[in-house]
Amino acid sequence: MRGRLALGLAGLAGFLLILEVIPRLGLVSSRYLPPATEIVGALGRELAETAFWTALRDTLNGWVLGLLIAAVAGIALGLLIGAVPLLRELTASTIEFLRPIPSVALIPLVVVLLGTGLESKLVLVVYAAFWQILVQVLYGVRDVDPVADETARAYGLDRSARIVHVLWPTALPFVMTGLRLAAAVALILCVTGELVIGAPGLGTRIAIAQTSGAVADMYALIVVTGLLGVAINVGARAVERRALRWHQSVRSEAAV
Amino acid sequence: MRRRSIFKLSAAAAALATLNACGGASSEEPGGDADGPKQVTVGVIPIVDVAPIYLGKEKGFFSARGIDLSLVAAQGGSAIVPGVLSGEFQFGFSNITSLMIAQTKNVPVKVVANGAASTGQAGKDFGGVAVRKGSPITSASALSGRRVAVNTLKNIGDTTVRESVRKAGGDPDDIEFVEIAFPDMPAALESGQVDAAWVVEPQLSTVKAAGATVIASTFTDTAPNLTIAAYFAGTKLIADDPALVKGFTEAVNESLAYADGHPDEVRAVLSSYTKISEEVRSALILPKWPVEINRASLETLAGLGETDGIFGDATPDLGKLLP
Repeated sequence: MRGRLALGLAGLAGFLLILEVIPRLGLVSSRYLPPATEIVGALGRELAETAFWTALRDTLNGWVLGLLIAAVAGIALGLLIGAVPLLRELTASTIEFLRPIPSVALIPLVVVLLGTGLESKLVLVVYAAFWQILVQVLYGVRDVDPVADETARAYGLDRSARIVHVLWPTALPFVMTGLRLAAAVALILCVTGELVIGAPGLGTRIAIAQTSGAVADMYALIVVTGLLGVAINVGARAVERRALRWHQSVRSEAAV
Repeated sequence: MRRRSIFKLSAAAAALATLNACGGASSEEPGGDADGPKQVTVGVIPIVDVAPIYLGKEKGFFSARGIDLSLVAAQGGSAIVPGVLSGEFQFGFSNITSLMIAQTKNVPVKVVANGAASTGQAGKDFGGVAVRKGSPITSASALSGRRVAVNTLKNIGDTTVRESVRKAGGDPDDIEFVEIAFPDMPAALESGQVDAAWVVEPQLSTVKAAGATVIASTFTDTAPNLTIAAYFAGTKLIADDPALVKGFTEAVNESLAYADGHPDEVRAVLSSYTKISEEVRSALILPKWPVEINRASLETLAGLGETDGIFGDATPDLGKLLP
């Protein structure tokens, strides 16, 4: 574990060094790609501003709310549709039709309907994250071992007990994968919505820095969104490991 | 949720169909009782042009008229016009050609106050055509056959660039316009993706700092003291709440006059809503902010737009658009 961390940090340091050297050597004009030290300086200035923290809170608010709505709806509908064969047949083609629609394509529509505030951002986030979760849950439900299910029936477990003891444990690894994917997608859509629609958040700050020609500030904010993405992924993996302690995929990983 | 999405899609289709009838789903009407201040939200673009309204808010010109003003920075006019129509914004800021285009499409909007105007001084305007350091192009007439960047095609940029070329004796029909966002223009110009760029502040300062030369001041070439942008409202609000609109217009006018007389305060207020560096802020060319809309200049601009075919077959009706 420590070795991996060291390697990861070395990779990051190498990346920063390249980022520092390229503009210094004049390979790319520093007006368009400031050296890493300047970006870090701009990041320091950002962190000292209250408006930055408000923007960060707005972005995280949208992310949490969006992910929560998508998770609840995705898991509930996924279990329901997955468990009822008729529903699965009825919805399969509709899901396959709606799922690939890029959330950003809905931007003009949500602006007209809901304006440029939090609601619009939420629609984009929920729309993108929901399918990730729903589809994983559907796969998870389909993965139930028929022998286990039959055994549960033979022992007289009723429907709700079978959901708790057979269906849910089988689907859980899939649900966790769906949540992890959705968490990343939700962040992307949050920032995109802010950038394009102008809903308050980090994306809006990036856009303002861009229109103001404040290049270093813009990169600093982009770095913040990147760090957020890393943090979210690390957090999601931790949750996944915790929820699936008992599962073989995690148990084999634990040896590392 | 899936059903809700479908519901939203169909609701959206219905809303789009009734858009021209000004049927918005957003419900935030400018509320408040007769005594309390009225909540007013204005959709603006976070650029230099809207500095007066930020300054006027700070100075209390709006609160003195019972208006509790919120300024929302939107990403361009394409988000502001729907926002005004849906009632999310009571007022919006837009360049005047976009408003003319909206008017020819019967979008129910009307100008309520002036926004920003050209400085009227050739070579010292806040927007113009720039060429990179060492470019063989030295005058607007040489732009024929060249690639010129504008922020939006078929809008005020290409119309006024063509007029500059026309006046300089070049062929205005032989320019290849390329759509590039203002923030990307300095890099596009320097790397040679385009031969010239129609830029406005603060990017104008950026390209000048990189050695670019301004070869044409397109606004001054188009008309003396050209009106470039305006504040507008939906016609429904204007009919329903004339007192609010009157108060807003007066407050904007006071802000414009104040901003025009206090450039140092304008430069200072820029730091509150943009991230323009102090160096650029202290030196950039500010627009003029006259209270009066220069109608004659807009007739010229509308005529040029019509010649260029940016309104389709329609002719903008300035009588309907302007107050």
